[in-house]
Amino acid sequence: MLASPLLQPEIDPPKGGQGGLETAVESSQNTELSMDPDSSTEVSTTSDDEYAQLQRRFILATLAVSAFAVSVTALVFDLHIASSLLVGAVCGVLYLRLLARSVGKLGKASKSVSKIQLLVPVLLVLAVSRLPELELLPALFGFLLYKPAMILQVLLESRT
Amino acid sequence: MDSITTAASVVAAGLAVGLGAIGPGIGQGTAAGGAVEGIARQPEAEGKIRGTLLLSFAFMESLTIYGLVVALVLLFANPFAG
Repeated sequence: MLASPLLQPEIDPPKGGQGGLETAVESSQNTELSMDPDSSTEVSTTSDDEYAQLQRRFILATLAVSAFAVSVTALVFDLHIASSLLVGAVCGVLYLRLLARSVGKLGKASKSVSKIQLLVPVLLVLAVSRLPELELLPALFGFLLYKPAMILQVLLESRT
Repeated sequence: MDSITTAASVVAAGLAVGLGAIGPGIGQGTAAGGAVEGIARQPEAEGKIRGTLLLSFAFMESLTIYGLVVALVLLFANPFAG
């Protein structure tokens, strides 16, 4: 009853209802509903684009750092170790892509982050243990190359 | 590989994965909850929040991966096997 005089002025008097409060709430909901769809869709599209661009930048940075690391390893050590590093780096990019996809689905399609991306390091270690051409440590270092790449990308973005 | 080494490796592998997943699991849950709450409060910042979440997940989950790798090495490429 205290709130009703404040909400009353622009509202028609109720016809046998509880008072002005219900009508005021209904009308405010209607205006929100009528305003929301376009603006929320626009905001969502912009955010999705922004996130897709960020994903692309992270993956490109990982590819660049991986290519640099593989070429340096091939020059300093030998091709055998460089190929292990390359396999690890490819697995790292795949892992990052799967992680980005599951983070993108969070809050929309799923309530929790899926763990499917953890299969990538498992398969990598299994492949390394089965195949004699691959070495464990270079493959693991190659897999973890996404971390310096992401740090580098964030540092470059914060400078610009 | 003798039976004691095998048993110790299997127990250590289980401990490495199990104990290594506790901390990142709690952290990821907290981070995901905070991010969803932030997106709900401020939908226009969704892209930035998701980007930060991706970055923090990538670093948090690598702790789980370390434990996973140690466990897999103990199981499939055990350096203590004679």
